[in-house]
Amino acid sequence: MRRLTLTFLLSLLAVGIFAQDDLMNILDQNAPKEINYTTATFKSTRVMNGHSIERMPAGQLDVRISHRFGTLNSGAYNFFGLDQSNIHLSMEYGIFNWLMIGVGRGSYEKTFDGFAKFSILRQSTGLKEMPVSLSVVTSAALKSIKFADQTRTNYFTSRMAYVAQILVARKISEGFSIQLTPSYVHRNLVATELDPNDVYAIGAGARLKLTRRISLNGEYYYVANPKTYLSQQIYNPLSVGFDIETGGHVFQLFFTNSLGMIEKAFIGETTTSWAKGGIHFGFNISRVFTLKKPNKV
Amino acid sequence: MKRLFISLIIFSLFSLFIVSCYYDNEEALYPTINSSCDTTNVTYSGTIAPILNNSCLGCHSNPATGGSILLTTYAEVVASAPRITGSIKQLSGYSAMPKNSGKLKSCSITQWEIWVRKGMLNN
Repeated sequence: MRRLTLTFLLSLLAVGIFAQDDLMNILDQNAPKEINYTTATFKSTRVMNGHSIERMPAGQLDVRISHRFGTLNSGAYNFFGLDQSNIHLSMEYGIFNWLMIGVGRGSYEKTFDGFAKFSILRQSTGLKEMPVSLSVVTSAALKSIKFADQTRTNYFTSRMAYVAQILVARKISEGFSIQLTPSYVHRNLVATELDPNDVYAIGAGARLKLTRRISLNGEYYYVANPKTYLSQQIYNPLSVGFDIETGGHVFQLFFTNSLGMIEKAFIGETTTSWAKGGIHFGFNISRVFTLKKPNKV
Repeated sequence: MKRLFISLIIFSLFSLFIVSCYYDNEEALYPTINSSCDTTNVTYSGTIAPILNNSCLGCHSNPATGGSILLTTYAEVVASAPRITGSIKQLSGYSAMPKNSGKLKSCSITQWEIWVRKGMLNN
């Protein structure tokens, strides 16, 4: 009798397992599909010099300290450029999940700058399929260095420059992301008639994840304006380096031929070239502070 | 709706900046000063001293900020002349100058070289 009961129970269990299998199927079919947003397309809000698609979520403050040293070809006496340093400090804050703003000050031409980055599309799968992420960055820079000629009538507007960029990025696989960045720079005052007030450029950036904490990044901006007959020879900025994440900090260590750390400076005013050894070692340090706890969705 | 509203405010703030867009260049804005590069009448008092004054003396008038290189007097400029040439032309092996801004205008560099080639006269 006992044995019979056991067999009966066992068979019930078997039925139970089958039933459970069916239930899982039904659950799978009926559960509402979610939108899976792609995260961590880049590690930081900058690819190297330029903005990446990443932005600060609402309530998070990013404090960034960046340096670009002198050129490698300045010789051993200048410790290959490390004796000279240019600094840029900035505070960047996410107001909403789709909007971040930032203010900064750089020693290059004693420039104050501010920007706003709007997230318009986010790469996603699931309920909503979106192949790319898209953001718009607008920024303004105020050069506060004294005018070379103090005797002439200098205008405040001559100090201003503006930038607009569209960032289109795609995380192609878990370890590889790319970004295209059409950019427009307007300078209110340039040196000569042959120097363009409007500079058009297209940037390309990529990130290749090497380990969980380290990734190899590259960034290049092609400046579309003709580069001959300018009062100053300019080059396309190229940067190559690593992102290293250590808990709360992101370190970006890289080599670049541009001295400026804001769009206006590195797109239009890169005066040294890789080919001639005009390479600067640079780093960005980013530390994120949570000022407001995120709302649970 | 709120989102649209805030976007509009921010865009209009930025457009305030955009309205103040100018298409100026120094040649057109200051025709009498910057008409061309004068390479014939290059003098210490008329050409070199103003360049130094505008672009170098911000730091190189004080040993603490100038890295012990002073450029306030004629004798000091002559003593540092070879290094100035390398620095303003940003040649390899020299500390590139000016430090916190772009390279000097090519006109100024040319005028400096002419002055050096003519024997660094105190005129």
